[in-house]
Amino acid sequence: MVRRIATQVHKQASRLLLQKFIKREPAWFQAVLDHPPLPLPPREPPIRQDYDLPPQDQLAARTAPAKRMRPASRRPLPIHYLEDDVRTQFFKDHPFEAFRPRMLVEGGEVEAEHQIRGESWTRLRQRGSNPSPEDAIRFAVNLHESHNIPITHAYSAAIAQFRALRSEHEVSVRVALMEAETYGIKLGPSMTERMFEEEDKALKSWSKNKQADAMANTARKRWRMIPEQVGEPSAWTKGEHYIRLWQEGVRPSYAPTLATNTTKSASPPAVGGPPSQPPFPPSGNKRHANRRNPKPPVPKLKSIMTGIPP
Amino acid sequence: MSTGSHSLATQFPRAVARRVRQLPRLQASFSGARHVSQTAEDRPPLTEEQWQDMQSERGTFQSFMDTFSRYGSTQTRDNTFQPHHTLHRPVAPNQLTLSALMAAGAHLGHSKSLMNPNFTPYAYGIRAGITVIDMDHTLPLLRRAAKVVRGVAAKAGSVVFVGTSPELSTVVRKAAERMGEYGYHVGSKWLPGTLTNRLAMFGAGTVENVQVTPDLVIFLNPLANLHAIRECAQNHIPTVGIVDSNVDPRIVMYPIPANDESVKTAELVAGVLSVAGREGVEISKEEANRRKERAKFVARMTSPNSSRREPAVA
Repeated sequence: MVRRIATQVHKQASRLLLQKFIKREPAWFQAVLDHPPLPLPPREPPIRQDYDLPPQDQLAARTAPAKRMRPASRRPLPIHYLEDDVRTQFFKDHPFEAFRPRMLVEGGEVEAEHQIRGESWTRLRQRGSNPSPEDAIRFAVNLHESHNIPITHAYSAAIAQFRALRSEHEVSVRVALMEAETYGIKLGPSMTERMFEEEDKALKSWSKNKQADAMANTARKRWRMIPEQVGEPSAWTKGEHYIRLWQEGVRPSYAPTLATNTTKSASPPAVGGPPSQPPFPPSGNKRHANRRNPKPPVPKLKSIMTGIPP
Repeated sequence: MSTGSHSLATQFPRAVARRVRQLPRLQASFSGARHVSQTAEDRPPLTEEQWQDMQSERGTFQSFMDTFSRYGSTQTRDNTFQPHHTLHRPVAPNQLTLSALMAAGAHLGHSKSLMNPNFTPYAYGIRAGITVIDMDHTLPLLRRAAKVVRGVAAKAGSVVFVGTSPELSTVVRKAAERMGEYGYHVGSKWLPGTLTNRLAMFGAGTVENVQVTPDLVIFLNPLANLHAIRECAQNHIPTVGIVDSNVDPRIVMYPIPANDESVKTAELVAGVLSVAGREGVEISKEEANRRKERAKFVARMTSPNSSRREPAVA
């Protein structure tokens, strides 16, 4: 088949129309002629302004005489703001500010530009009495940009004001809480208490309910073993039941037989029951005994393998 | 947010009604309250004092409302954004804002190392290890694609919306429904051979009588539908698609550089294109009506036994 290219479908169709290979103009033809597809632009990233470029890629650095002849890179440049450096430093200095809750509700539009911009912003208190980390960071950068303060000094000033406002806020919250408790407020569990409750719940889910687990596991199996007696017998049996079965020649059935459902319960009697058999088997080789004296009919034990294959 | 026109009374009609009910000495005497089932004749007439009391109460209430109407929120359920609006309230192509696209995450491309070299003209920069797509190219290209969709629908062409992931299936279904009889959708797998093996797919009777190839195909995830794109090219069908930064923009005829992993972006794009398509469908219906009227008029004029306004020249 001839190679068909998506971006040249309209050209191919017009060629075929010209040669009458296609009889009727397709319904998309006029629309595509009116609004033809744009060719791929030249392979280089768009022109960028300095405000979101890292310092080494800004115009001054780019136009400086290069140490070595090198062709211009056609890769897209990183997006970097001065606020990023200030933010890194801020969260290094105040790691617990990152734990403050933030709302992630989706909006129809992006947030408006931050208000702290221009010469009129001289104190962080103008932003309010409970500034967020972003306010402090933006305030520091604004001091540097609008008031021509070196960034280090701007940062120091901004976080000094931030810390002062934060401690004021914290003290007022604590005092308000003490006041409320004095007036008898009933508060719900604190975060610590709630986390303890969650941990207790998680630990309880690990505790094993042995009986329930055993029953669930047995029910899931195809071939199940349901023992007649769980655990040790209540009294010492002296092995009398075992010896009796041996003397009678009763063998256990390792495979269930569907036809014979008549089973006798062969549970061993406790000590003190009727001693019906001599404690030791008769002398002689059991094999010869079998040939001369065929085994009596074997009474079926209760089948111990109850799994029936589906 | 809207300003001015929303007074407190329109914001909180129930609160106003409650206040009216709470006004003392009116419930028994004045018929303004809704719950009084008495007719006008049954109510006892108000005394002068009662009437004046009622007036002063109303004046107090009204001044209270007037004072505080200037403050507070003007937000209502209708003018607040909710996440389902991108799917259920599509916008027209000239109303779609760059801000809305960015809020949907349309500018977030794939990892820096996965960027296709041919995507470079549409890559604004790199941030947090991912390619950020240049929205200054996205919006014009999206509007161009919308014009094409409108033009195709205006000529009664069929448009197929393809979005072959569970999240996109609802989006393409709604977009196709918006275009009525000219819109189709593929929400799960595109069966290979739909176009190239149409005789087996649809049957000989259908293929002879009906045009089974669409006139435009819109891909919300082209990377997962490369076979479908190839089938469209082989059958000379133009394609529109959302191309991400790991994709060569030339795989479709009208690429829209945007994030193909964001469902909200897909909803916005499909909404814009389907609204344009709906406009095109209306244009084609108008055109069909006009042709029918014209045909009727011509038939009436040219029929031999019709009565004419101008008598034949003797």
